[in-house]
Amino acid sequence: MPKNQKLALVVDDSKMQCKLLSILLQEENYQVIAANDGASGVQMYIEHQPDLVLMDINMPIMDGFEATRRIKKLSGAGNLAPLIFITSLDGEQAFIDSVEAGGDSILVRPFSPQVFKAKIKAIQRISDLVEQVKGLQQEQQNDAELAEKMMSGVIEARNFALDKIGVIKKAATIFSGDIHLSALCPNGDLHILLGDFTGHGLRSSIGAIPVTETFRAMTKKGFSILEIVAELNRQMHTLLPGDLFFAASFACISEHEKSVYVLNAGLPDGYLFNEDAIIKKQFSSSHPPLGILPQLLPDVHLDVVQVSKTDRLVFITDGIVEARNKAGKLFGFPRFESAAADGIAQKDLVKSVLSSLDDFCENCEQEDDISLVDVPCSGWQPVKFSNKVTIPEGFTEEDSYFTREQKGLPTWSYHLHLTGKLLKTVNPIPLVMNQINDLEGAGEHWQSLYTILTELFVNSLDHGVLELDSSLKDSAEGFGQYFKERAKRLDNLAHIAINAPDNFVRISLKYFPLSHGGKMIINIKDSGKGFDIVNVLKGNSNAMNDGIKLSGRGVELVNQMCDTLEYQEQGTLVKASYIWHD
Amino acid sequence: MTVSSKLSTDGKQLVIAIDERFDFSSHQEFRDAYSGVTNLDLTYILDLRKTEYMDSSALGMILLLKDHVQLYAGQLIISKPSDTVRKILEIAQFQRLMTIE
Repeated sequence: MPKNQKLALVVDDSKMQCKLLSILLQEENYQVIAANDGASGVQMYIEHQPDLVLMDINMPIMDGFEATRRIKKLSGAGNLAPLIFITSLDGEQAFIDSVEAGGDSILVRPFSPQVFKAKIKAIQRISDLVEQVKGLQQEQQNDAELAEKMMSGVIEARNFALDKIGVIKKAATIFSGDIHLSALCPNGDLHILLGDFTGHGLRSSIGAIPVTETFRAMTKKGFSILEIVAELNRQMHTLLPGDLFFAASFACISEHEKSVYVLNAGLPDGYLFNEDAIIKKQFSSSHPPLGILPQLLPDVHLDVVQVSKTDRLVFITDGIVEARNKAGKLFGFPRFESAAADGIAQKDLVKSVLSSLDDFCENCEQEDDISLVDVPCSGWQPVKFSNKVTIPEGFTEEDSYFTREQKGLPTWSYHLHLTGKLLKTVNPIPLVMNQINDLEGAGEHWQSLYTILTELFVNSLDHGVLELDSSLKDSAEGFGQYFKERAKRLDNLAHIAINAPDNFVRISLKYFPLSHGGKMIINIKDSGKGFDIVNVLKGNSNAMNDGIKLSGRGVELVNQMCDTLEYQEQGTLVKASYIWHD
Repeated sequence: MTVSSKLSTDGKQLVIAIDERFDFSSHQEFRDAYSGVTNLDLTYILDLRKTEYMDSSALGMILLLKDHVQLYAGQLIISKPSDTVRKILEIAQFQRLMTIE
């Protein structure tokens, strides 16, 4: 049978009627099969799966109503073969009964061939529309499933340390416009993102892949969280249509600094809980969602908070607090906060929030995506200290260091001299690390070097060029003040046009290959006034031993990772050497 | 009708008022309320005093309105949002993008 020829089933105990209807249907280009009672009609329906059924009402063995009920049960919602009752029973009851039984239309005898054909055409038109809608629905379903698979299987499965991060993710439609990402920085810090694209379904997923790629690549290269946010905003602004945007919270958790840096752009408050489930800090939205403005607002800033090891950072999207119960009440912040606190006491925040949410909403339909991440502030991959070389006895330094380069010349050197405004706008560390990766290839041993460079550069900039006093950071309040002051002084730096070159930081690297590894000599010089080297370092190490001081940890960490570390030229030049072995 | 709009008699103000719910279902009506208006220097007042619920697609719709307003050198004021709606606008930090009174 050619595909465009449709099949009609005529069920009527009068052979005469069957014949008549068949001729009319054939004139409308249908192929026709016929049955003379309800039971065999049902049987033929099963065997031939017709596109249209014409049904008499009064028939022996099984009447038209019963046959219709069975046929409609068989075809279910998935496949509509329109069914028209043909009857001489006039009156309201016949009409009502036929619709009750599942009939799609009714035609009362006598009727002219023209009326019959018009009826067939009309019902076929509706059936075609239903087919079309079903096809589209199926297509949409397939797309949504693909997007879902991509999101959970490809994007989120590659997140870092999934076992340590508690996650709630319940999508309103199959595909969720929410996304959570985690990635490890070269220095062992952890970057976290929880975001919510406007809308639901496939439309809201346009940005998911670029966001993921950018977040991971930039984190890996050592860009700071604020630089990543700025880039994501730029991308989303270019990519997303005017009414779509990306509300998200970002965090950088630095275990060795014992601090977290947070930016909330358009999500409900984020939380920092301590182990007693007390809220230590709430992070309110301080910036419009990403993708609305071409650039971040000039006053964008990160919240910097001191954390202890047992603290947890919790981000949520609006779906949780806006979840409704049958009475139309919102779940709200107080319920969320108490469920989270209970969860911390029971050591399972996710479970507690979920069960509280389920109890509240019962089986109400979920209107929005619901997401949460619960991230401990410690327990991440420690920065590796194992790269130090232990030199075997009887092995002289010359043997080890300069086997390939007899005269002790570096195979390459690299200098970066940043002045004035660039000190505010450029983060040199990713640039430097890129150079190293290009020249020497990537490797885990550069992780420690990244930390060394970052710490030393930040020291030179903060304490040298910007003349910030690190003792400010000794108290928790001073800590925030320190970062405020830092931002202010950087702004000043950017606005000085005339003597800009007077303010500088110069990074120099020299690389010496060893037989099984290499040695990097790092010199960082700054334009600052310098400091009293002996006293500061001594003070730092005393304080470290007492375990009371918040500042000065950076130098101590670098000292552990370097082979040698010394300050010269009144503290304006720091020289470090770093050795790694295969 | 969940969206109504009215141009003031002096032709300087267009007031767009929204009913209880402002979400994606009002998308077309909301667009129709302003898309034909091309007067320059017009003040657009988005009246939200009756609105109790607003979702993120409504925020997106407001951004589209803002684009339209900027295109015709007008001004956009969001007028009298309820506490709930104001909270949503604040989370999205819309007070930094437009006037909310």
